[in-house]
Amino acid sequence: MLKFEPLGAPTRGAWIIAAIIVALQLALAAGLFWMNSISEAAAGRRVVEVGAAEASSSLYTELPDAAFQAVRLPRQGCCSSNNLIFRSRLTAEDAALANPAVLIESAYDNALVYVDGALAAGAGRVSGPPPNMGRRPQLLRIPSAMAHEGAVLDIAVQRAVGFGHLQPFYVGEYDELYSSFRALTFLRHDLPLFNAAIGAFVAAFCLCAAPLFGARGLMLSLSALGASWVLQHVGLYVTDPPWGAVANNGVYFLGFLGACVCLPWFFIEWTSVFSPPAPKRAPLFAFVLDPWGTVARRRLAIVSLASLAIGAGLIAWRLSFGPAIASQDINRVIGWMGLFAMAFCLVRIVSFYLRPGARDPIAASAFVFVVLAAIADISAVRFLKTYGVFLGAAVTFFPLALLLSLAVRARGVFEAATTTAEKLNVLVADREREIVRYHEEVRRNDRAAMLLDERSRIMRDMHDGIGGQLLGLILQARSRKLSDEALVNGLEQSLDDLRLVVDSLEQGEGSLTGALGAFRTRIEPRCEAAGVELDWEIDDVGATPNIGPDKTLQIYRILLEACTNALKHGAPKRIGVALKRDGDQIEIALGDDGVGFAPHGAPPGRGLTNMRTRARQIGAALAMDSTTSGTRISLTLPA
Amino acid sequence: MTAAPRYARVAIVEDDAILRENLVQLVTRAEGLEIAGAADSVATGRALLEPDLDVLLIDLALPDGNGVEVIREARERLANIKIIVVSIFGDARSVVRAIEAGADGYLLKGAGEQQAEEAIRSVLDGGAPISPAVASHILTRMRERSSSERGAELDAPLTEKETAVLTDLAKGFRYKEVARLHGISPHTVADHVKSIYRKLAVNSRSEAVFEAVQAGLIKLKD
Repeated sequence: MLKFEPLGAPTRGAWIIAAIIVALQLALAAGLFWMNSISEAAAGRRVVEVGAAEASSSLYTELPDAAFQAVRLPRQGCCSSNNLIFRSRLTAEDAALANPAVLIESAYDNALVYVDGALAAGAGRVSGPPPNMGRRPQLLRIPSAMAHEGAVLDIAVQRAVGFGHLQPFYVGEYDELYSSFRALTFLRHDLPLFNAAIGAFVAAFCLCAAPLFGARGLMLSLSALGASWVLQHVGLYVTDPPWGAVANNGVYFLGFLGACVCLPWFFIEWTSVFSPPAPKRAPLFAFVLDPWGTVARRRLAIVSLASLAIGAGLIAWRLSFGPAIASQDINRVIGWMGLFAMAFCLVRIVSFYLRPGARDPIAASAFVFVVLAAIADISAVRFLKTYGVFLGAAVTFFPLALLLSLAVRARGVFEAATTTAEKLNVLVADREREIVRYHEEVRRNDRAAMLLDERSRIMRDMHDGIGGQLLGLILQARSRKLSDEALVNGLEQSLDDLRLVVDSLEQGEGSLTGALGAFRTRIEPRCEAAGVELDWEIDDVGATPNIGPDKTLQIYRILLEACTNALKHGAPKRIGVALKRDGDQIEIALGDDGVGFAPHGAPPGRGLTNMRTRARQIGAALAMDSTTSGTRISLTLPA
Repeated sequence: MTAAPRYARVAIVEDDAILRENLVQLVTRAEGLEIAGAADSVATGRALLEPDLDVLLIDLALPDGNGVEVIREARERLANIKIIVVSIFGDARSVVRAIEAGADGYLLKGAGEQQAEEAIRSVLDGGAPISPAVASHILTRMRERSSSERGAELDAPLTEKETAVLTDLAKGFRYKEVARLHGISPHTVADHVKSIYRKLAVNSRSEAVFEAVQAGLIKLKD
């Protein structure tokens, strides 16, 4: 964001740059003066005393001498026609030249030279409606055969703008007039074109940079200022042809008006955006000297754009009466407006740059120069009836100084942005570290909780299983009621249970398919020992995330109990174990072809009660079906 | 099994005196087997690794270290030795670790005499015993490795057939049943399992190298 930031005392470097800017501008102005002086110093007869006649057409057929009135150049008065013929007579010196030529210093796009009433030379658009006001001086050759002492020299020119400031013209040797012609062409044609290009660049740059820099009013006003410069030159070079004199003059004057409106607008923006807060004072002082508030500046933008629109309307309306006369009036009005606006700007700029905290010699040198140049230019055209060259010098360097100044201020913008970004990065990095730390802690806690869970589960399992079994064995052994066979059986049972615990821990995380696979190695040796064949019908049931180690262990115990029961009581030939999946439900079944037992007939044994309790604990449905031809238990639970 | 031209020499490394005595009895009684020596620690176990040794029965949890060290050394020094891990639980994690170090099979402590003898003979005969839990564990490890951060292919990936065989073994099917399911001979199943064991060892070694390189323990020359 472009905004006021107090500047320290100007550094040495700033003063040097300011000095360089002023020096460059002065040098350019001096250069232009020098060019101008070359054009003035043309070697040849400077024709100031002429007769002038107005004609209805530039296609001149000999007018009588009586039609010409004596005028003195530069001519002050004006005209009622677009076609003007100046009459002079060649001197003996003129006639003696090897290559006589006429240099017409004022800028005309067209000019015709007649000698003794016969067309000798012509340039530009010489017939049809009046052409634009022109930017090209003319250097026209007089055939030496036609040149003789006393020959009547008529120069017919034509332009749509009234002749406010006709300059003298020269008669002389072509080669000697040529350097003046080149200098004039540079001043009137080449330099303005170059300035127009700079104006276009500034306009485009500011329009594009406005969203980035933030001070939109400031950037918009500068863009409009650049555009109005461009518009003036568009008016001079582009509009006629094809659109004719009215369009040509309209665009030119709109550009002129634009410069006169946008320059104060821009300077008010600049001196407000970059101003330190000012104490309150009388409204008139505040209006001229102090920074304007946001609301006032928004109004200023609206007023500026509106006055351009209204001005365009007025210009169009005035031009509709006839471009030649109207352009004189418009020129005069805008000229006065411009002078007034420039005076206002000058006061504002000087007071602004004198304020503590705002002293920036670089910007000040450029701005003060441009305003002074504008004043000098308008005054020169307005009062001295001469071409201004100062604004040309100012316009060339003003935008460059401006961009430099903006860059210096915008550096603060970018530095601030970078600092903010760095701060944010540090903040984000801190946060990330914190989050990572937090996550690690959560994970550690989760893990600790999981381990604790697992530990207490294993302890419970040991207590339920092997602990009870071993304790039972010890008590029985103490009371000497234990046979050797019973002791071995009991210890084997204990070890089996311990192995089931281990198996459940290993298999519980994957699939029940693998868990049952492990189980087979635990029961197969018993079945073999009892001469019972094991039918293994295990489907791959896929992942069973709901059946963790705890449930797996209970399933093992239920199956082991069922298997033990079958081997002990059923005397089967075969035992089958099956695993199936039906949607979300897993069914595990163990069946035998033994003699069976009546599930409700006899009081249930401890084993059966245990199986039911375990099934309930893991949320499984336990079904038992025992007939004389076999027993089948099935366990159903969600996968 | 054709009669062995000489007695197979068996060394036993087991720190529990009773279990060790039990194993010694078992071997002594078994036909065609003879005791080459018995030890109760990693250090004394190493001393038993003589060139004429045929079988090593070894416990993993030893007082002065892990039996895996002895297994690795035995596999390096004695090309044709058969190594059988004696485990109280036969838990997959430790058995697979032993297989990765070069073991050929495992024996459950406290197994019946006949079973134990069969297991030893089976290994001597070129068999490769495998429990469903071990098969399942190998499958998981192989899957983890091929999707590990290395991203690259395993040095010795399992073939489709091997994976299929392993999957069925993990379900609890025995060699005979697996052979019937796949239409191959039980012998071929055993060959598959041996191949799987070898690949497991190879992958384990390259993985160890990879991890060592990652940890900066080994510098590979360019």
